[in-house]
Amino acid sequence: MADKQQTVLKSGKIAAGAVVCVESEIRGDVTIGARTVVHPKARINAEAGPIIIGEGNLIEEQALIINSYPENIMPESEDVEPKTMSIGINNVFEVGCVSQALKIGDNNVIESKADVGRNVILTSGCIIGACCQVNTCEVIPENTVIYGSNCMRRIQTEKPQPQTLQLDFLMKILPNYHHLKKTVKSSGKN
Amino acid sequence: MASLLQPDRVLYLVRGEKKIRSPLSQLYFCRYCSELRSLECVSHEVDSHYCPSCLENMPSAEAKLKKNRCANCFDCPCCMHTLSTRATNIPAPLPDDPTKITMKKAYYLACGFCRWTSRDVGMADKSVASGGWQEPENPHTQRINKLIEYYQQLAQREKLERDRKKLARRRPFMPQAFSQHTIHVVEKYGMGTRLQRHRSGAPISNLYGLSLKEGEDQKEIPIEPAQALDEVEPLPEDYYTRPVSLPEVTTLRQRLLQPDFQPAGASQLHPKHKHLLIKRSLRCRKCEHNLSKPEFNPTSIKFKIQLVAVNYIPDVRIMSIPNLRHMKESQVLLTLTNPVEHVTHVTLIACEEGDADDVNSTAKVMVPTKELVLAGKDAAAEYDELAEPQDFQDDPDVVAFRKSNKIGFFIKVVPQREDGDVTVAFRMRHDFRNLAAPIRPSEEGDAPAEAIWLTHHVELSLGPLAP
Repeated sequence: MADKQQTVLKSGKIAAGAVVCVESEIRGDVTIGARTVVHPKARINAEAGPIIIGEGNLIEEQALIINSYPENIMPESEDVEPKTMSIGINNVFEVGCVSQALKIGDNNVIESKADVGRNVILTSGCIIGACCQVNTCEVIPENTVIYGSNCMRRIQTEKPQPQTLQLDFLMKILPNYHHLKKTVKSSGKN
Repeated sequence: MASLLQPDRVLYLVRGEKKIRSPLSQLYFCRYCSELRSLECVSHEVDSHYCPSCLENMPSAEAKLKKNRCANCFDCPCCMHTLSTRATNIPAPLPDDPTKITMKKAYYLACGFCRWTSRDVGMADKSVASGGWQEPENPHTQRINKLIEYYQQLAQREKLERDRKKLARRRPFMPQAFSQHTIHVVEKYGMGTRLQRHRSGAPISNLYGLSLKEGEDQKEIPIEPAQALDEVEPLPEDYYTRPVSLPEVTTLRQRLLQPDFQPAGASQLHPKHKHLLIKRSLRCRKCEHNLSKPEFNPTSIKFKIQLVAVNYIPDVRIMSIPNLRHMKESQVLLTLTNPVEHVTHVTLIACEEGDADDVNSTAKVMVPTKELVLAGKDAAAEYDELAEPQDFQDDPDVVAFRKSNKIGFFIKVVPQREDGDVTVAFRMRHDFRNLAAPIRPSEEGDAPAEAIWLTHHVELSLGPLAP
């Protein structure tokens, strides 16, 4: 019966090799893998449960990754289990997107100002187009592209390329202009 | 309150072939006829063709040859966005020395919007950046061309016979060449009548290559009639039971954009060349003067001639509306802006009882009876500190405020109906100085341009009644 009124101390670790700018806002239990770049003004908010982010991800400015409480449940009620949000490798969260999906696979791209709801599960290779709102309750099949104002869908033949060039460039340049958050080598005690 | 400034709140009536009510920003003003013109009462002419993505101008003859398509740019067959050329490095053996492997560039087309690539339909990567992409050839092209030639020849022959019959009735010394140059008869399978009206005297460009010289026999083009087949290919057995895979099926729009093939499967959607856009010029139908003529250069958005109504007619806009109640008088604040540089006098007149134009108004309106004076638009006024403020004696009951070339004034509105939107109409009479007319040398030293009075019928939509 942990006292939920107590503010959750920031736990979780940032792996060595990840570049997380100090101006980004990381709240709650967030684990960030190696070679992941988090731009300034990105927000990762683990309020209803921990978030585990894999390697090689690119989280751009004003992106919001939030593990939020489901809408009709009060935060104070007792029977809410914290669900873990897991994000795979090589994903791209472009500027201004909002992602609440609990499970995101690998090589996905969530384009600018897209909105992914909580009950969506992205497998791998999916591209959610700019300004598309996906808040259905489904598993998006692999290599799906959602585009257009009507959220049309099509399957592409190959997964999107991983942004290795961009990641390398950012990992070199960002430390020249921003302070970085400290990375932890060993797993912290929770 | 930005919704009050929406253009469709204030409509001006255009008396053309049809009566059209349209916001002032969408109207043109013919200063030779001194009348408002809308897009429906002017004639539209094609000025030039250009490609919207590479902005390349194309002369009309070339455009016609290429079926109004750009040579360099492609459209995505899936989402109709412009395709961009991307390059990848592939290892390939050197032509001289098969053992060494160098990186060669291979180009493919990709859409940035829906992520379609040319590899999706099986088009191989090309080694040149542009010019390597071919559209698939329509298997019926030859037959269609043959049919078109045959019918054009038939139409021309019929036209000649008709002319000959007319000539036979006339006097015999009419020149034979008359038939080539008259376009009194609507040409079958040719261009429409609109374009022909302006080209009286010019030979028909469509059939120019096939024009008959007198006495020469035209080669007969034989065509075979289409053969009807008795046996049709049967449908596959699982046609009704096989589940439909939606990503494989093309949408109607994708299918109909390629009328040659109309592919049902997404794997047969080939990219098409981009369609050209046109720049059009508008011409008043009564006086044949140009109302709008754009510049020739596709990169320029300016106009050589631009006779838009907002530059000549004072603009009425709604500024604020109080709560409107049924059969109760309320004051609505309107603004009037003067677009020209000289002082304009505007008189507002309420519509009479039997006014034929006044069909939409649902409220009675009381407009100010006095003449409103608007100062001219002075572009340098904000920089000129020593300018004396012009002294207009304004009645504070009528004029709410005055600011350079704009005044705000009140009208009284009494809604007559209990529900629905409140619409009022009135007539606006203002003086217009026609600077286009030639300046007459006057002995008495008159003003260089004569003022004529124009009257417009204005309708305002004031929104719903307050609950």
